[in-house]
Amino acid sequence: EDADRINSADVAVVEHRRRLLEEWDSWRAMTEEELVEECEIMGVPLDPVAELLKAKSAQVAPDEEERVIE
Amino acid sequence: MRPILLSGHERALTQVKYNRDGDLIFSTAKDQQICVWYAHNGERLGTYHGHVGAIWTVDVDPTSTIIASGSADNTIRLWDIKTGKNLKTWEFPTAVKRVEFNDDGTKLLGVTEKRMGHLGTIVVIDIEVDVDAEQTDEKSLTIVCDESKATVAGWSYLSKYIIAGHEDGSISQYDAKTGDLLYNVPVHELNQPVVDLQWSPDRTYFITASKDKTAKLISAKDLEVLKTYVADTPLNSAALTTKKDFVILGGGQAAMDVTTTSARQGKFEARFYHKIFEDEIGRVRGHFGPLNTVACDPTGKGYASGGEDGYVRVHQFDKGYFDFMYEVERERQNRLAAAATAGGQ
Repeated sequence: EDADRINSADVAVVEHRRRLLEEWDSWRAMTEEELVEECEIMGVPLDPVAELLKAKSAQVAPDEEERVIE
Repeated sequence: MRPILLSGHERALTQVKYNRDGDLIFSTAKDQQICVWYAHNGERLGTYHGHVGAIWTVDVDPTSTIIASGSADNTIRLWDIKTGKNLKTWEFPTAVKRVEFNDDGTKLLGVTEKRMGHLGTIVVIDIEVDVDAEQTDEKSLTIVCDESKATVAGWSYLSKYIIAGHEDGSISQYDAKTGDLLYNVPVHELNQPVVDLQWSPDRTYFITASKDKTAKLISAKDLEVLKTYVADTPLNSAALTTKKDFVILGGGQAAMDVTTTSARQGKFEARFYHKIFEDEIGRVRGHFGPLNTVACDPTGKGYASGGEDGYVRVHQFDKGYFDFMYEVERERQNRLAAAATAGGQ
């Protein structure tokens, strides 16, 4: 019934939300693009942690890996 | 959303924090111990002993190898998550109110308290994310907050900026390499302290919570206020959910601080708002005192709250939570799905 209530909401409210959503999405797209550019300029990976985790799991002894699974 | 109640602390909670995988929860309280719990069943894995004062803050490095904690005993400590060993202790002239690792765990910041004869500072320490490594004694940077003390601080994307929230309700952006103050903006009501600051996953924006009863979504690059969430009670904490565009606010007034007739239980609820539309969409009851801290599972599966009542409550989100969508969000989803289908052909 939440959906019904929202469906019956004033058209103006829905229009306003549509605009907010568009604004947010375009701000996010712009920000993400800038972040990718900055990473390229600095020569660093977009997700530094992915690299770190790869290195860490390579280090971990096989028996320890098994122990993690519970 | 059936909660799991974590009882192990004997005093008020001060911070709860998930690791990156969302399988562990670290909690600090005024009872001088740090606890670590399994997020899925609430089983306590262990505790970290050594602090001799209330513990204000904890953070976990992105590889879940070490944690850092800050305490009223004027120290920052580093701990081996697995063995519980205290790896390093740094001493300061005053209490440490907040610690945070940067995005790759190589730097740790600490916010120190202002006290007679000591200005509040933000210190930076270089960290080796290795339990066998010798950690440095030196700070690589000290930022002195001479205007208004910092209450919270964190690292932006690419460790480019240190963003701090202040006692006077303002937010600062510092160059994280030089410590130079770049901007200071009064975002919350004057002299209503900023009490929490939490990041979006890519650290390009963050949410602040203030005693002025609002939380704000702010861009790290230019400190522009993007959104404002209005509550009816002083806030202690604000967190951002992943997967869904929600924010969760925690606060409430302690009974002794309430001058009006009744402190209804409703004041002690986690409040959910839509991140983009700023509307309140729901509340979750449970604590018997103010919510001092809220944290979201980075994988989007649930959230945890820590109360003045000494409990941590962990909630796993259910199907209704994930299905909840505004009409315009559904429109967008359908549009994207249609575009994906068209693109796939």
